[in-house]
Amino acid sequence: MKTAALPVTAGLPQRLRGIFPIAVAIPVLALLQLVVEDMHFFVYLASIVGVNVILAVSLNIVNGMTGQFSIGHAGFMAVGAYISGKFSLQVKDLALSALPVAASDQLMFVLALLVGGTAAAICGFIVGLPSLRLKGDYLAIVTLGFGEIIRVIVQNTEAFGRALGLSGIPQRSTFFMVWFWVFLTVLVARRIAGSSHGRSLWAIREDEVAAEAMGVNTTAYKVRAFVISSFFAGVAGGLFAHFVPIINPGSFTFVKSIEVVVMVVAGGLGSTTGAIIAAVFLTLLPEALRSTFTALSGGQAGIAQKIDQIRMPIYGLLLVLLMLVRPQGLFGTKEIWDVLPRWLPRRRKGIA
Amino acid sequence: MSEVLLHAKEVSIQFGGLKALSRFNLEIRQGDLKGLIGPNGAGKTTAFNVLTGVYAPSSGDIFVCSERVNGKSPHQINRLGLARTFQNIRLFRALTAIDNVRVACHSEYTGLVSPDRLRTLRTKGALANGIANMLEAADNYRDWWRALLLTPGFLREEEEITRRAEQLLSVMSLSHRRDEEARNLPYGEQRRLEIARALATRPRVLLLDEPAAGMNTREKADLMLLIRQLRDQFSLGILVIEHDMKLVMGICEQITVLDHGETIARGSPEQVRTDRKVVEAYLGDSYLEAHGGLQSSSEAAP
Repeated sequence: MKTAALPVTAGLPQRLRGIFPIAVAIPVLALLQLVVEDMHFFVYLASIVGVNVILAVSLNIVNGMTGQFSIGHAGFMAVGAYISGKFSLQVKDLALSALPVAASDQLMFVLALLVGGTAAAICGFIVGLPSLRLKGDYLAIVTLGFGEIIRVIVQNTEAFGRALGLSGIPQRSTFFMVWFWVFLTVLVARRIAGSSHGRSLWAIREDEVAAEAMGVNTTAYKVRAFVISSFFAGVAGGLFAHFVPIINPGSFTFVKSIEVVVMVVAGGLGSTTGAIIAAVFLTLLPEALRSTFTALSGGQAGIAQKIDQIRMPIYGLLLVLLMLVRPQGLFGTKEIWDVLPRWLPRRRKGIA
Repeated sequence: MSEVLLHAKEVSIQFGGLKALSRFNLEIRQGDLKGLIGPNGAGKTTAFNVLTGVYAPSSGDIFVCSERVNGKSPHQINRLGLARTFQNIRLFRALTAIDNVRVACHSEYTGLVSPDRLRTLRTKGALANGIANMLEAADNYRDWWRALLLTPGFLREEEEITRRAEQLLSVMSLSHRRDEEARNLPYGEQRRLEIARALATRPRVLLLDEPAAGMNTREKADLMLLIRQLRDQFSLGILVIEHDMKLVMGICEQITVLDHGETIARGSPEQVRTDRKVVEAYLGDSYLEAHGGLQSSSEAAP
């Protein structure tokens, strides 16, 4: 595990290093946006993948880097989704007169995401403050309980549409917006990992008693990791709410939380790139299996449907296989550029 | 005489019905090198744990640099200038040697308000305390933003931390292990890395819990020299728990002997060695026989 702070941007003047990756990402993503604009299914799929990547990478800050076992990530996602969805519904008809409608909409969308993220972060703080004194299984149970509480509250609140869910949220999400937030999440995760804060988190993961004895305020660090992680989960929820036609409590169950945990574990606890790859892979796998089976059955609907049913067992089997072959996950605690064979052109280690 | 850096006054700790430590007294000043010995289960490590805040004392007072630390958490006590190593090595195993040390290098960055001013503010009632807490929290969040935005100040600080960590590694002759994971280091080097890590927190008093455990005779001899050198180079007060009598007797100026949580003797190595109670409780009669009564020893004999 290396946390060496050798930025790839080392050649740049110091003043520009901070924003350089953002300045590169925006035009690149904008260009991609133009290319994929009309590919609706692709954009939808890419958005789902993006949301899952944000969830996995942000959960990795808590479960991987800090070594705390949280399994309530869907709860924070739900908070973000409902709060930002509600916000968007409220301001649906508002537009800033100085701007073109599209720009004004996007601005409102960003605002909604920030509101959702902040609400989730506040929940993270409230849940984290008392419960992060707990360890291991106990913390897992509390976070699990939190996720369920959120779901039950939503299910029984008229304002959130009860079990029917919220519909009519303006569909403002774009490929650009989703992947810009993916980029931001990864950037934040990597920069934390490479800083003194990240080292403190690693230290807590390795040995809490020793970290505390070396002057690391372990409780405060755990709470902060939790807050940052839930903020991005909230943003992911907000993005989700703006590209699916309807959000209901069924999307944020315990199963969703576990799905994210599986992504993090499969990628390797503590590996950001591992979490990204696992999230992409595990999100696309069911889709890929679906189209494979459809093709195999020669388009006959009946057979396709039958074969479709073994899709999920195969998904499970692949996971079991991965855990048998690599119990530490895809990359362990390392990043992809630490693991790739030496003959491949290697990226320099460090924060982006 | 220099100021007392670590002061334990009549410290007791009780776990249920067991008195693990009773009426323990200790004073460490700059330049002191004191020893703490006793048979297994005598309460030596418990004493360390109470001093460093892992346990809160049941009664008595502990002062670190004149500040009362009863009930403070270990990280707060560490920041006041007390660092320790562990009996069973507790390195951050998956981190590299340099990162182990860097974790403990806290930046000198003071932010909006200096720690001293925060401390004086805290003494001025509940409201002032609340304001101090908010200022500190604001500072913390500013510190995170600096890391996320890679501000020039932050990068400078990181470089400074790395430089200091490298220096400490070289003091402990571990420079060649800079980028190796701590768990892959040989045992003696792990012990030294633990000391380097403790030094990185800029302590004024260093507590060493059996630093020579598992070392061979040569390593022990080197360690004795090293401990003395560290005391002088870093102007420390040092308290050592050790089973190796040769090492303890060789370097400590004053030795406290514990048995069942009670302090049964205190004094120079000579005094302790010849103390009747100590011999009975710890060294054993065979020790006296083997070493011809009160002659100075040449063998380690726990």
